[in-house]
Amino acid sequence: MDLRVIFDHKNRAFWNMALDEALLKNMKYYGPTLRFYGWSPPAISIGYFQSLKENVNLDETRRRKVDVVRRITGGGAVYHKWEVTYSIVMSPPSGKILDSYRLIERGIIEGLKSIGIEARYSGINDIIVGGRKISGNAQTRKYGGLLQHGTILMDVNVDEMFSLLKVPEEKMRDKIIRDVKERVTSLRHLGKLIEFEELQKILAEGFKKALNARLYEEKIDKKIIKDARDLEEKKYARREWNYKR
Amino acid sequence: MQGESGITRGEAILKRGKLLRVWVEFVGDEIKNVKITGDFFIYPEDTVEVLEKELKGKKIKDVQGIVENVMRNCEYIGIEPKHIVEAVELAWKRRK
Repeated sequence: MDLRVIFDHKNRAFWNMALDEALLKNMKYYGPTLRFYGWSPPAISIGYFQSLKENVNLDETRRRKVDVVRRITGGGAVYHKWEVTYSIVMSPPSGKILDSYRLIERGIIEGLKSIGIEARYSGINDIIVGGRKISGNAQTRKYGGLLQHGTILMDVNVDEMFSLLKVPEEKMRDKIIRDVKERVTSLRHLGKLIEFEELQKILAEGFKKALNARLYEEKIDKKIIKDARDLEEKKYARREWNYKR
Repeated sequence: MQGESGITRGEAILKRGKLLRVWVEFVGDEIKNVKITGDFFIYPEDTVEVLEKELKGKKIKDVQGIVENVMRNCEYIGIEPKHIVEAVELAWKRRK
C-alpha cells in the first residue's frame, strides 16, 4: 500500500479532529494517509458516546486554558499534552473490527521496538509496556473508510490529568488516581527522552513495517483543507457537537 | 438515585473499568426518554441513537428484546446488550 505521511505540528483540538475527519471523508479519492500531530494548547478529547459534563471538569479546563472536543470515535476521555498522536485513514481490511485495531496498533509496537521497548496489545484498545498503558487507540468506520487515531505518551502527570477529568465516583477518586498511576507509563518513565519530531519519524517507520507500506510525504490537498475548515467551524468548534451528550 | 424531572440513572460496569450510564425518564412502566453514555465502542456508532429512539414509548418488560434486536448485526467492543438492559433495569428499580 502507498501511504501518504504527514508530519504535522501541534494544533488546536478542533482543527485536529476536523482534519482527521476530512482526511477520512476524502480517503476514497485521495487514498490512505497517516498523520502525526500534537495539541496546542493542551486538550481533552472525549469519546463519541461520553457525556462532556459527566467527564470533564470544565471550570478547571477554563482555568488552565485547555481545549475540550468530542471525537467521532468511541472510547474514553484523554488528556493530550505530552504525546504524539497519530491518525490513519485507509480502506477497512476484511475481518473483524478488532482485528483491524490490532493491525494498525502493530505500527506502534514496531516503532517502540526499534527504540528498545517491548510493547504489546492489551484488551480492547490499549498498548502496554511492562503491564502499564503507553498508548490508547480508537477507531471509526465512515464514508466507506476507516479512521483510527491514538496516542503515544511521551510523559504523563496523572495528578494534572485528574484535575481536568471527573471520575465516576468521587469517593473512589484517590484510589482511582493511585490505580492509574500504577497502570500508566510513558517514554520518559521508561528512560527514553525523545523529541516530538523524532518520535513521529520513529513511529512512521513502525507503521511502514507493520503495514508493509511505501511511505511518501505530500502536502495536504486544498480540498481536504477546505473540508477540514468547514468541519472545524460547523461541527467541532460548536457547542451542539461538544455537548451532544 | 433520581435526578431532576423524574429522570433516573442506571449504570453497568463494563470490561476493564469502562462504564455505561443511562438516564431514563419513565411514565408508568413506559420509557418516555432515554440517553445512553459511556466510554465503549459500538459499530456502526449510530446504533446508540437507534437504540434511544427504539426504546422511547416502550414498556420496561420489552427492553431486552428491543436491545438484542437493534444490536443483532453490530460489532461492539467492551459492551454487550446485557449491559444496556442491566443499566435500564437498574434505573427502573431506582425510580420513585
